Amino acid sequence: MMSVWATQSWRLFRHELKRGELTIIAIALIIAVASVFSLSGFSAQIKSALIQQSNSFIAADRVLQSSRPVDEKFLAKADEMGLEQAQLLQFSSMVFAGDDMVLGSVKAVSNGYPLRGNLLVAQPDGAGSLQVSVAQVPTSGYAYVGESLLRILELNVGDGFELGNSEFVIAGVIDKEPDASFSVFTSGPRVIIHMDDVAATGIVQPGSRLTYKYLFAGESIEEYSRWAKPQVLETQRFRDIKGQQSPLANALNRAESYLSLASMLGIILAAVAVSVASRRYGQRHQPMVAVYKSIGASSFFIRKLYLLHWGALAGISILVGLLIGYGIQYLGIQFMADVVPDVTLTLSAYPLLVAIFTGVICAVAFAIAPMRQLIATPAISVIRGFAGFERRLTWLERMPPLLAVVVLLWLFSQNLLLTGALILGAAVIVSILLVVGHLLINAGRSVGSQAGQAFHLSMANLKRRAKANQVQLVSFTIAIQLLLLMLVVRNDLIDEWQAQLPDNTPNQFLVNVSQSQVPAVEAFLQQQGLVASDLYPIVRGRLSAINEEQVRRRVSKEQEDASEQGRRGIGRELNLTWHRDIPKENEIVDGTWFDNDNPKAEVSVEQELAKRLQIGVGDTLTFQIGSESVTMPVTSIRTVNWQSMQPNFYMIFSESVLADFPATYIAAIYVPGLQKSEFQDFLQQYPTISIIDVDAIIAQLRTVISQVSLAVEFILILVLIAGALVLIAQVQASMEERERELAILRTLGAKGSLLTNSVLLEFVILGAIAGVLGSLSMEIGVFILQTQVFDMSVSIHWPYWILGTILGAVVVGVLGMASCYRLLKLSSLTLIRRTL
Amino acid sequence: MLQDPDLILQCRQVTKQVTTGEKTLDILQPIDLRVKPGETVAIIGASGSGKTTLLSLLAGLDTPSQGEIYLKNEPLHKYDEEQRSAIRAKHVGFIFQSFLLINSLTALENVMLPAELAGDEQAQQRAMDMLEKVGLADRAEHFPSQLSGGEQQRVAIARAFISSPDILFADEPTGNLDSKTGETVSKLLFELNQQQGTTLVLVTHDNELAAQCQRQLLMHAGELQETVKAMAEVV
Repeated sequence: MMSVWATQSWRLFRHELKRGELTIIAIALIIAVASVFSLSGFSAQIKSALIQQSNSFIAADRVLQSSRPVDEKFLAKADEMGLEQAQLLQFSSMVFAGDDMVLGSVKAVSNGYPLRGNLLVAQPDGAGSLQVSVAQVPTSGYAYVGESLLRILELNVGDGFELGNSEFVIAGVIDKEPDASFSVFTSGPRVIIHMDDVAATGIVQPGSRLTYKYLFAGESIEEYSRWAKPQVLETQRFRDIKGQQSPLANALNRAESYLSLASMLGIILAAVAVSVASRRYGQRHQPMVAVYKSIGASSFFIRKLYLLHWGALAGISILVGLLIGYGIQYLGIQFMADVVPDVTLTLSAYPLLVAIFTGVICAVAFAIAPMRQLIATPAISVIRGFAGFERRLTWLERMPPLLAVVVLLWLFSQNLLLTGALILGAAVIVSILLVVGHLLINAGRSVGSQAGQAFHLSMANLKRRAKANQVQLVSFTIAIQLLLLMLVVRNDLIDEWQAQLPDNTPNQFLVNVSQSQVPAVEAFLQQQGLVASDLYPIVRGRLSAINEEQVRRRVSKEQEDASEQGRRGIGRELNLTWHRDIPKENEIVDGTWFDNDNPKAEVSVEQELAKRLQIGVGDTLTFQIGSESVTMPVTSIRTVNWQSMQPNFYMIFSESVLADFPATYIAAIYVPGLQKSEFQDFLQQYPTISIIDVDAIIAQLRTVISQVSLAVEFILILVLIAGALVLIAQVQASMEERERELAILRTLGAKGSLLTNSVLLEFVILGAIAGVLGSLSMEIGVFILQTQVFDMSVSIHWPYWILGTILGAVVVGVLGMASCYRLLKLSSLTLIRRTL
Repeated sequence: MLQDPDLILQCRQVTKQVTTGEKTLDILQPIDLRVKPGETVAIIGASGSGKTTLLSLLAGLDTPSQGEIYLKNEPLHKYDEEQRSAIRAKHVGFIFQSFLLINSLTALENVMLPAELAGDEQAQQRAMDMLEKVGLADRAEHFPSQLSGGEQQRVAIARAFISSPDILFADEPTGNLDSKTGETVSKLLFELNQQQGTTLVLVTHDNELAAQCQRQLLMHAGELQETVKAMAEVV
């Protein structure tokens, strides 16, 4: 037989559930669990689909790169774990055809390449014309070549060429190479041959400059990465698509941040809802506890009763939350199916665990303080009433919910920076709120005394319940703030991101333009009306000393890990340029740009590199260019937007330093589809100019952005529900006190219309204040995000202030009225009976 | 120890002080009271005279600042909250001005509550009987919000009597009811009281209700005076 406490507990639970008294707290818990479950599952799947798609840009899930063959253990382990593998060997070598020759950029590939994405090659079909199709690696003795090789050597498909000691037949023209270098500085036409043919060429000798790439892909890739990473030597690099300094990697990382951020906002809001609702739960149960105690129930009895009651409530809510979360995930993925075809609904353990943990943590952390207060309700309250027994919470008692939110956010995002930024923002915001809210309510009181009767009464009410209202205000404000923040993220931040890739984003890079070709190129661009970046001269040079200290000694592991360009820039040769004006998307953060009227030898250094090399304005750098050595001071430090599809440089010199060195030029151009053939024709005249087509990358960048924006929109809906719940729960929490007040006012003879108007006004004013404060705190939040997380320029969002204020006034007003409507309709006698 | 084993309730030199801010208020001046088993006692007095405070001390809901209170020979003044709870469970019944039924339980479940806490296996049957006695058998499955004020107080009376308490404390039992309903309720209260031979201590403004008790005590500015029936009419 069930013990008495269990019977009582179950009986209360059953009735309260049926009578809808637990609805708010249950929904709050359900939303917390459902949103964490759906969001972590959903965004994990979106992320992995995006990465999956993007992985084609490195032709694998992971690449191990080295200048020497790597230890067999890497391959053996991958075999053991069932990963797919392929190998590449890249080197430069002269390609001969008759009397013509060109320095080719050779890539030898093993069977299986590419593991991700497709190699598209134009090969002759039966009718003699070229047909682009997905190609396997070339068979032994054959090669695929870049179109520029055909141009320079005047060859056709089916012709032969020599590479080292071997002869190859051109089997096709490379149309799209999945892992084509993102670097605009690679030069030389591409030649792809089979790995088995390398030895016979005799090119690979001790001392040759070679790049070995080992490609891995497969399900256990994460596990493999964990195993491999610690074993990778300093001279080797083990990377994934996100680990490079490329626009795509940046976009993927940013996409992750957006998804995490949006979901985290949802989680905070759900947590606020649980917190408000559990407070309400505690207050509502106080009379019951007092009655139980007056009849003689012990504290132990009460504790057991409520442990079971709360446990059953939390347990059922978590379960329902999981079911609903699964449903939401399913819907979300249907919703995204058109844009992210690779996403499928899979039930993985991590989101499930995180969701259950969220439910438990919310149910425990947010309930501790209200529960303790509830259980401590003294029996004497049956006589004295419940006012005044609520102790102020100690700091220790306030900690669990705060800690819970931090843990949840961190668990969910695994991103300390974002978590920290959000928590810091929240702390600042809540403190401002408490102060400002108090001031505003006080100020309203003095204005109110000169306004109409209803206004006066509502302000008096606000003032009288200042403390309760402060709590209400904080939760209203947080709800409105998070909603606005979400809208700003959805609209402005993503738009701004999108704006960084306008329609005329450069999609072709011209490389290797010689000094003598510059006028012709400029004329062509002008004649065709093409949008292009400036032409940048490139001189290759090596940083040899910093403040006359040889630089080699300062090379560290960190720099080996840096991007391809960064590493070459430090360890080896660097692409140096000179420019009169500061390039677009660059910003001086320290020092000043060159004074062109007063030419001197100067250099401007990119911020991150400067940090890594620990140099600043005033340090002198020495570069070895050819046989000459030049030394000049650093006069400015720049930020560079690496996401822009523009030629970007770590080092930009004043004209006087480099003007006399022989240079080649590069430019980024946007060539619309229609003008591509003119562009091809033009290039035909200048076979030594190389082009790099980055259309595919731009397309993928756009996909990432649009997918993230869709996903964020979806999350916005969840956040809206959670926000509404906070508002409803908070209004409900104040109902009982309002009931008592209305009874008194009614008894005093206040007219129904006066009461209705004053209640309406009270909520409208509260909502409007919350709206203003919400907008203010949203702005603070956006500022933190823009400056700390997304590296964006700071902006103010006035339209949202208006929206926030109106939204707050209307929504809180309507919700408040809806909740009070029943009370306002009651006759005074019933009201008095119910409350006194 | 000067307690009289023949008394059900005894207090000696009981005072209550409350500190608000820096001021200390004497709510109760030293009070002595002796109640025999089966007696019905009314405490009357103006609002703020301290009568409800006295009731809460006598019932063990609160503790005195000084003095001794014995309920069924148990020294309430020495007991902590938990021990007093146990005493209440064993010996005490309550009726409150605002009924204080548990809103989420039906009328029947509210009445069963004390019996269940006492481990009575027949709780449900006895609760039905009690509801029958107060004339609400047909409302057993109703929730308090579905009952009128008078009906709620009748349920509360049934709840107070179900475990046959030795002593029943009533705080303004008719205070929230119109006079006609109040009459019905008080009649019921005294009927059941008589049937069960319970000691009754009630606090009221209502002289008619007070007049139905064997003794009337007047509370005035924290002091308690025994009064005769005739005097009660004057107050």
